[in-house]
Amino acid sequence: MSGLLLFLVGVVTLAGIYAILAMILNLEAGWAGMWDLGIAGLLAVGGYVFIITTQQTHDDVILTPHWPMWAGVLAGSVAGGLAALIIGIPSLRVRGEYFLITTLAFAEVIRQLSINLGSLTRGTVGFNQFTRPFESWTSPSGYRWVLLGLVWLVVAVVYFVIRRLGRSPYGRLLRGFRDNDPVARSLGKQTNRHRIQTFVLAGLMYGAVAPLYVWFIRTVTPSLFTSEATFVTWTALVIGGIASLRGPVIGAIILLIVTEAASLVQGSGDMAVVLASVRFIVLGLVLILVMRVRPQGLANERDAFAGASERVAG
Amino acid sequence: MQNVIFGLITGSILAIASVGLSMIRQTEGFINIAHGQMLTLGAFLGYFCVATLELNIFLAGLISMLLVGILGVVLSVLVFNPVAASGPLAQLFTSIGLAYLLFGVMRVVFGANVTFFPTSFGTRFDLGSVNVTVGEILIVVTAAIVVGALALFLNQTRLGTWIRATASNPELARLRGIPVQRVSHAVWFVASALAGLAGVMVGLIGNVHSELGWTLTLIILAAAVLGGLGSIYGVLASGLLLGLAMDLSALVIPTSYRSVVAFGVLILGLLLRPQGLFVTAGRREA
Repeated sequence: MSGLLLFLVGVVTLAGIYAILAMILNLEAGWAGMWDLGIAGLLAVGGYVFIITTQQTHDDVILTPHWPMWAGVLAGSVAGGLAALIIGIPSLRVRGEYFLITTLAFAEVIRQLSINLGSLTRGTVGFNQFTRPFESWTSPSGYRWVLLGLVWLVVAVVYFVIRRLGRSPYGRLLRGFRDNDPVARSLGKQTNRHRIQTFVLAGLMYGAVAPLYVWFIRTVTPSLFTSEATFVTWTALVIGGIASLRGPVIGAIILLIVTEAASLVQGSGDMAVVLASVRFIVLGLVLILVMRVRPQGLANERDAFAGASERVAG
Repeated sequence: MQNVIFGLITGSILAIASVGLSMIRQTEGFINIAHGQMLTLGAFLGYFCVATLELNIFLAGLISMLLVGILGVVLSVLVFNPVAASGPLAQLFTSIGLAYLLFGVMRVVFGANVTFFPTSFGTRFDLGSVNVTVGEILIVVTAAIVVGALALFLNQTRLGTWIRATASNPELARLRGIPVQRVSHAVWFVASALAGLAGVMVGLIGNVHSELGWTLTLIILAAAVLGGLGSIYGVLASGLLLGLAMDLSALVIPTSYRSVVAFGVLILGLLLRPQGLFVTAGRREA
């Protein structure tokens, strides 16, 4: 297989993972108006719970239940939801940028805990030997195709679930109290309860998809869950168009292709550091340019729900 | 007692760094995520002046302060002004983009290695159970002088009064004929210059590396938010408090939990007093 093809498969798989994350973020931030900067923390909870409950090879951690794969995914999801509940109850008492900063702080606390609770998480060494689903079906080199298919299958499922949610009365309610909380409350909607529900729902979903990220990267270390994961997801969403339907997927594909293109160039030693840095420069430039030229993103909310309001009116 | 000294040093650096962030937040209306990268740039420039140009450390500090300050003004004109009309989300994400851009450029220019200032801290002397070095005292004294100068500037000069007026009510300030553009330039210069100075100090007490900005951004944000963003003295006080809390906590829990303590304090502070620790008037909803 040629190098370019291998590279493309990797980029498209990663783009799919970020498309999933951006769609979930769109639910809580785009529609419900909760600008969450704690995505990396919830991913870390999901990823670590999954790997601790399912891994078979590392015996030096205090908890090795050896659960089957599906139970680990379920446990990661539940843990993500629980973490979101614990983070959400206090954080949702503050609004706007204070909410941003509280969630960012929680994510950093989670990451620091994952470094420091070495007997559970193996500290900065992390987990690097574990089996992945369907791995026995194919050769190691063919597995990347399996993962590509799996990721994009999840993209499709999440897309239809989120679209259903977005067009449902529940989605309208979210956008309603995002734009005007007092009016929604005057209509008898318990907006704070819906906020917590949506935040926990997003947490469940982040926790559930975290294993995909883990299978793609093939290690679980604290450095996977820095705020970079959060900011890349946000950038994908903002480029694609916040609060639109297809935006998160479009944004993730464009962003990942543009930023990963730098790693196509082979280099060694000092050159490798420069190339790795170019990725950040490109990420920054793309974000600055999109904000200047098209701050509403490529797709927009009006088009995504053009038919919906007419159906309600009719 | 030793930890009190360390806490004071960390705290005074934090205070200088977070005052700039809160000034920009008040007059420009958004949180500048790139502020931490300006700090890193200050640290690298200071290091370059001392290690390569072999300048005196004070001169190096002054040069990095000026250069970072000027860069702040240039960036505000080139990068932030064009998106000002698009609202705070666009500005916030522009600043995140700028943070990545600066981070990447600094890694290309200065490399990804960890370096140390080749500067000696001078004689170490004991005061009872505590021992401090001349350099550490100088850092605290410099911080105190800078804070004093900032207070004088804000309270005694016309430009300073304009800045405070714009910070408390931008629309009214504009209506009253305050030159908003000049105020904006002044704020960006002062805030970035303070970040540059704080960066040199951070480099002096620890080391200089490219990840510095990301680690510090969160702690600076914590200090600024804890102080209530709007009140400059509140932010100064909470910076000091946070520094003390981080270093004093080392007495009871492992030092690796240092930043967990900082964020724990932030989360607690936001929950108990969402309007900021030292703010008496209501905080405007963002």
